[in-house]
Amino acid sequence: MVEQATKMKRLINAIWIFNWFNSCGFCELIPLVGSRWDMERFGMIITGTPRHADVLFIAGYQTLKSIKRAQVIYEQMPDPKAVIALGACTMSGGMYWDSYNTIKRLADYIPVNIYIPGCPPRPEAVFEACMKIFHHVGAVPPHGRKFAKAHRG
Amino acid sequence: MAESLHKESKVIEDISAKFKIAGKVQRERRVWVTIDKDELIALCNFAKGLGFEHLSAISVTDWPEEGTFELTYHLWSYSERILLTIKTKLDRANPAVGSVVPIWKENAQIHERELHELFGVEFEGNEDLTPLFLEDWDGPPPFRKDFDWKEYVRQQYYDQANERERAYYD
Amino acid sequence: MTKQMNEKELITIEHIEQIIPGDTDYNFYFGPAHSGSGNFGVKLRIDGEKVTSARADPGYLHRGFEKLMEYRIPMQNAVLSDRVCVLEALNWNLVHAEAVDELTGVEIPQRARYIRVLMAEMSRLQSHLIWYGVMSLALGFDTGFKMAFGYRDYILDIFELITGGRVYPAGYICPGGVRRDLPDGSEDKIKRVLDQTEEMMQKMKDFDNIVFSRRTKGVGTLRTEDAIRLGATGPVLRACGVETDVRKDDPYEIYDELDFDIPVREEGDAYARCLIRGREMEESIKIIKQVLDRIPQGNIREPAKITPPSRVKIPEGEVYVRNELARGEGCAYMRSVGGGEPYRVKLRGPDFLHMIPVLEHLLKGSQIADIPAIYWSLNICPADMDR
Repeated sequence: MVEQATKMKRLINAIWIFNWFNSCGFCELIPLVGSRWDMERFGMIITGTPRHADVLFIAGYQTLKSIKRAQVIYEQMPDPKAVIALGACTMSGGMYWDSYNTIKRLADYIPVNIYIPGCPPRPEAVFEACMKIFHHVGAVPPHGRKFAKAHRG
Repeated sequence: MAESLHKESKVIEDISAKFKIAGKVQRERRVWVTIDKDELIALCNFAKGLGFEHLSAISVTDWPEEGTFELTYHLWSYSERILLTIKTKLDRANPAVGSVVPIWKENAQIHERELHELFGVEFEGNEDLTPLFLEDWDGPPPFRKDFDWKEYVRQQYYDQANERERAYYD
Repeated sequence: MTKQMNEKELITIEHIEQIIPGDTDYNFYFGPAHSGSGNFGVKLRIDGEKVTSARADPGYLHRGFEKLMEYRIPMQNAVLSDRVCVLEALNWNLVHAEAVDELTGVEIPQRARYIRVLMAEMSRLQSHLIWYGVMSLALGFDTGFKMAFGYRDYILDIFELITGGRVYPAGYICPGGVRRDLPDGSEDKIKRVLDQTEEMMQKMKDFDNIVFSRRTKGVGTLRTEDAIRLGATGPVLRACGVETDVRKDDPYEIYDELDFDIPVREEGDAYARCLIRGREMEESIKIIKQVLDRIPQGNIREPAKITPPSRVKIPEGEVYVRNELARGEGCAYMRSVGGGEPYRVKLRGPDFLHMIPVLEHLLKGSQIADIPAIYWSLNICPADMDR
């Protein structure tokens, strides 16, 4: 555990994200990249391939068809890696708790590190989750020192 | 009121002159007709000739007590600005009907492909009825009324022994 | 800039095909994970750089809405109907509410009708801004992307003020009217946001920049008869020279009282579709301004008090409602047998046809590099296709 933490500290100075978005995740998370929320100030960028990514964002409900692809994407990511699940659907099925084609709990299919509640979660919540990753691995992002310190309490 | 629905009544007159069926004008720009399954294709061809060139949607309603499937074809005419709905009934045990692909081409093809997957209706003459949405699905067509969706979800996804999930069983 | 670049000096695809001869057939999978949109794949057969055949691979987002709605009462369905397509949640809210209203035959208060149209047009505006942002991203014009999403957030603030949710209004447009009245001072805030949006559009100067015009002119041309045959609706059809708009042809709510134009272009290519959407944003702003000027006082829901859900019954009957969404024609067929829940709901989204037949038709024969331009000029949303 300690060894992995050091590894992560070395690797995650900036979060590189790979998206596996469904529509609600797309609609509420793409603004993060846009000029208002601007996640690049925290060193977070979206990569084009899972091979470059540290963190996998899984947003929203997963159907039986799309969860298979999500698993392949997860396998392709290099270690150490983290998975952040967004939205109520990934926790309990959310709105689709009685749908026959969506999975109900993401952790049954992919190891999840952080769940962010909300339908869909607000951009601030996503930032907070990312701060928790930094906090968890003991690294402080170059521009987020104050934020992380306040968080540690 | 009667005068303003002139266009709509005209469509019904045209159809009833040829097919001996009655229709009703629901409101402005909404016309509904019901026809026997055997004459469906002929009526669709006739409607296309009247200017109903946009197939807006095809829908199926399942009536298990009656033992029928009800098909509704929603057609829009860009020139007349009327929505014509053609309804027909199929036997539920043998849900086969002629395809309207020769009339509305790719548009009809994709609607029929969807309904074949979700209701199990056979469209004779449609060559590509491969599943569209569901992958590795082995249950019955999911939109049929006799498919007990809740029971399926419980068995597939929930565990009664789990404290958190017991609520789904009440 | 345009004049200095000589067409003859550029290497064309024909040159490349002469340089690289022979067997270059291969399969190419576009999606399902790509940064452009939600999960949706296209299986392509490529010869060199040319797409010889395309087959859409939908189903990543199939939740079975039509079945889910059979188990729920209208107020629950109103909340569910937001989720059909997140990019224009309020428009789908309106489709569902109209279907139930037509069955119950309730007379909607005039103020509620105005608020509904106001919200639907704001939703169309933000949907077009998303489209502009992602289209810019697809064409490699990052400034447009950042800008459009920045300005879209102002509209989301208005949604949050009025409905309580940034993207999902939680059934704000409900059967019988709307849930809440506009908060104090919201008219001024909306006007300010409209000014900001106009300012952004001024900056973009009607998409008249070299990135847009060079990469979209003459790309993905759809002929009028093909467009009608393939079931294209909305801006895609209007870019092919068909003057049609559900708001004019089949008016619902108060659209027949409002003054606005239908932009039409003849070219049918991706550039025409871009320009149509730009013009539509202007028309939406025009509509919202008219609505704000004329909005009457009064009730916002009929009946004003919420009836206990167990007593609400949908009268027997069947209706088919058509609405103009940001991407095309959105329809709902609702059948009721007199119970609390609808017996059957069929939702017809514009993207069901735009993403499967139209996209397959346009991709066939195109170049690989043009795929993003074609894909995003249709402004497609997989969620409303799969339902």
